[in-house]
Amino acid sequence: MHEYAFFLGCIAPNRYPGAESASYKTAEKLGIKLLDLEGASCCPAPGAFGSIDLNIWYAMAARNLVLAEQMKKDIALICNGCYKSIWEVNHKLKKHKELREGVNEVLKEIDMEFKGTIDVWHLAELFYDPNIVGLDKIRDSVKVPLTGTRIAVHYGCHLMKPKKERHFGSTEQPWWIEEMVAALGAEPVDYRNKMLCCGAGGGVRGYDLVHSIDITNEKMINLKEAKADALTEVCPFCQLQFDRGQIEIEEKFGVHWGLPVLHYCELLGLAQGMSPQELALDLHAVSCEPFLQKVL
Amino acid sequence: MARTKGYPEALEKKLADTRLYEDERHPEFTRTVEKISMSIPHMCYQCGTCTASCPSAPRSSYRIRKFMRRALLGLEEEALTDPDLWLCTTCYSCTDRCPRDIAPTDVIMAMRNLAAQRDIVPVNFLKTVQAIYSTGHGVPNNDVNRAARKKLGLPADPPTTHGFPKYVKGIQSIIDHFGLKARADRIVKEREG
Repeated sequence: MHEYAFFLGCIAPNRYPGAESASYKTAEKLGIKLLDLEGASCCPAPGAFGSIDLNIWYAMAARNLVLAEQMKKDIALICNGCYKSIWEVNHKLKKHKELREGVNEVLKEIDMEFKGTIDVWHLAELFYDPNIVGLDKIRDSVKVPLTGTRIAVHYGCHLMKPKKERHFGSTEQPWWIEEMVAALGAEPVDYRNKMLCCGAGGGVRGYDLVHSIDITNEKMINLKEAKADALTEVCPFCQLQFDRGQIEIEEKFGVHWGLPVLHYCELLGLAQGMSPQELALDLHAVSCEPFLQKVL
Repeated sequence: MARTKGYPEALEKKLADTRLYEDERHPEFTRTVEKISMSIPHMCYQCGTCTASCPSAPRSSYRIRKFMRRALLGLEEEALTDPDLWLCTTCYSCTDRCPRDIAPTDVIMAMRNLAAQRDIVPVNFLKTVQAIYSTGHGVPNNDVNRAARKKLGLPADPPTTHGFPKYVKGIQSIIDHFGLKARADRIVKEREG
């Protein structure tokens, strides 16, 4: 059993608890135990905090990292925004001595020190990694294959970009999450401008909602064209933008899409036999019913 | 082309005049931006790949290429007072495609930091700071969600600062170290009363 400190972030536990619940259960079935990271906070939001003062962003993220260092466990997380903060700050502080010293100066006041002893992983990359889980194990864990459904993938931005600082290779046409979707028995579908942002990041959702959901609307147009039954992603903030965003699009632009949006862990949970109730799919703004009828 | 936000009057006037005035250039602005962003906007040759990759460009007057030019020429005032500065979704498409290996996204972040130092920052950013200061979460828990969590067999509050509020103090110390809470409170009050 691989053990990780589970960094929850904000939106999964506080808006889509089904995604959190599904993460524990699906990971456990695949040999990963997610442990509580007691006292963790917001990552903090890279758009909001990073825009105001990068030094505070470094220090706040470092506090979360130190909590995991004290547990002597690598961090696993399920949100691209958290990945940006936690992975990137870990990476930067390990690399730049001057930055690290500056951050430790601040952390000293709360009796903490960043040492750089752990790594940070997105649960999706652990699932894909054959040395940890791999596609075969995912396939073997499936009890209710999602046969006959067409599922599109939204990668989000902060997991793989900027590619120079990450380890995922090209960010133009990735296909690894689609492979994980295919492992559940569904048919992954490609669509126009797949790597386009959801529109929520950088504080834009709060700054200019109409601008932000206009980007989301462009994604919805492209997804409709591909005739997807559902959209899956690995970021609760993208999920919020696509899910609640569709309601906002209806209000502001008068366009109805009705496309169910599920976190990959929720999708995996369904395929492993979890019920929609166990995944709290009723909390989603857009009904997942049409998709569930095809599956169950 | 409809603009998403009205420009300040002084900037509007400035943009109507496309000439470059030597006294508006601040070379130290270029250097500061490069230091904060850890990037090299002075290498920009204005190809426009960034703007062409930008999800915000087709739906607003935001042009990342323009901001790269301002960074290179040291046009501090023009860069920091432009409300379009806050329309970057930080998607990093421009960064991944830049043929000069510059990180325009990080240049924008650096400029936002410098603008914020002058209290030029949208209120929603500051409200996130206030939320994190009081609860540790930018998007805090609520009663509907607590009920749903219990139904799933999860604790009503997650094992974060919500479940262990004693950790909030550490977060407050960090934010107070930079005096950010006081600044956020002041600016929000000035704008919203």
